[in-house]
Amino acid sequence: MVSGAVILSLAAALAWLIWLSRDVEARIATARWTGLFALALVPVWLGLVIFYAPIEENQGIIQKIFYVHTGAIVPTYTGFLLTAVGGIGWLRTRSARWDHLAIAGAEVGVVFCSLMLVVGPLWAKPAWGHWWVWDLRLTTTLMLWFIYVAYVFLRSFAFGSDTSRTFTAIYGIAGIAAIPFVYFAVDLAQGSTMHPSNPTREGLPPAMGQTAGVGLITFVWIFSWLVARRMEIAALEERALQAHHARTSA
Amino acid sequence: MGWVLAAYGVTAAVLVGYALQLRAARRAALRESQRRS
Repeated sequence: MVSGAVILSLAAALAWLIWLSRDVEARIATARWTGLFALALVPVWLGLVIFYAPIEENQGIIQKIFYVHTGAIVPTYTGFLLTAVGGIGWLRTRSARWDHLAIAGAEVGVVFCSLMLVVGPLWAKPAWGHWWVWDLRLTTTLMLWFIYVAYVFLRSFAFGSDTSRTFTAIYGIAGIAAIPFVYFAVDLAQGSTMHPSNPTREGLPPAMGQTAGVGLITFVWIFSWLVARRMEIAALEERALQAHHARTSA
Repeated sequence: MGWVLAAYGVTAAVLVGYALQLRAARRAALRESQRRS
């Protein structure tokens, strides 16, 4: 039931973001409700983490980091996927609206990927005795982070020109090829990795699975709200740029 | 317990910090948009 709610939540969030991207300045008022919904979910999720999810036998209390670490995974992948969707939209239509979706997805995706990379070592140190190991999962995740940090830098250095939008659209689309390597890294390493395999519904006690599920839903809506706000800023910057071009060419 | 608090604290700080940065960027973009139009 919880995994169904996670999928439904993700589909609803993606549909809302695509709808919003069509006319973000006129529709941004709906983001208020998304933000409030995400904010209301936070204490519910934290309550489940503290009072409902059991303390794991082997790791003890530090296993509770699992809920915040895994929460950042879906927003990371979704953000970079939105960059590719926006990039494809830009290449097909040359509409700046798709481009705004692309940059918002990349930037917010980088924020969540950074969280994963910072919170992971805070769990690894007490659990493994090391802050970081160069195993396939951690290394590919770091590579994914570098790919989209480079995207965000490229965008900040070359804002507004069609050439830069086209180049970064192709780059953003190509970048998602790294995601399957990250996701399946533990399987690809065939056991020679410190990082545990992807958690499955069957592999977790019900209370842990439900808490993780609510965490994922919470993070998905926080992510969606941040993407919406970032898209609005991109649209406002675009408007200012167009006004500047109109004035200088007049 | 310290590790758990650090992990959740860092997450909260990053997300709230980024949201505040977006709010400041939005205000700046609004001002710029109004100034140029």
